[in-house]
Amino acid sequence: MTKFLLSVHVIAAIVAIGPVTVAASMFPAAARRPLADAGRDLAVLRSLHRICRVYATVGVVVPVFGLATASSLGVLGDAWLITSIVLTAAAAGVLVLLVLPRQHHILASMPKPGPDGRGPARLAMYTGMFNVLWAVVTVLMIVRPGSTTGV
Amino acid sequence: MDSLRALRIAAGTELATLVVLLVNLATVHWPAVSSAVGPTHGCAYLFVVILTVRQTRTPRTRATAVVPGIGGLLVLRRLTRVPRGGQPVRRAGSPGSAGSGR
Repeated sequence: MTKFLLSVHVIAAIVAIGPVTVAASMFPAAARRPLADAGRDLAVLRSLHRICRVYATVGVVVPVFGLATASSLGVLGDAWLITSIVLTAAAAGVLVLLVLPRQHHILASMPKPGPDGRGPARLAMYTGMFNVLWAVVTVLMIVRPGSTTGV
Repeated sequence: MDSLRALRIAAGTELATLVVLLVNLATVHWPAVSSAVGPTHGCAYLFVVILTVRQTRTPRTRATAVVPGIGGLLVLRRLTRVPRGGQPVRRAGSPGSAGSGR
């Protein structure tokens, strides 16, 4: 059963976090680009934001099945796992509290291009933070420092 | 998929998986069933809560989403019957879709 839970966990991580990473990384660049064809560029931005929002919700599957996997493996108390959980919570916080609202804000002010270029730059920084956080979590999941199981 | 439809699916799954879990607990008690359906129920529950928070600002409806098992169905009932302002609702867009879940 652990194999099933772990499979769901990994597939969900790939399917949900992957699109968020790509779309969120593309968003600031797309927002900074001067609006050549306003309607089309706005539609692109909207889609990118929608991808981030929808797949962030789907991403809930990842920690739920991750916890189930960990509990069936009996590793819930391990330091590497607790660290990962904390980092994942931080990544989720960055995504939900910083990245998504700022994307929404930029989109809302979009038809007239913002006077300062600060918004997209900030957003790019937070998106980078999110990406680094979950990349660290992924490495922790593979290396599992101090664990005696495999790899 | 619009979020009301997603909410409908999540609400149905939430109740269905809970029923499966309880039936399993009361009868055969297969560990495989509980460990596969348990997290599914957890996900459905969280989806209901997230989708509800996104759908409405009313504190009561949001609080309803947290009710275990039937929270999603209660939210759907509130959303489709008692909209803010009390106007008649989005029913028109989804005829015959009242039977969410079981």
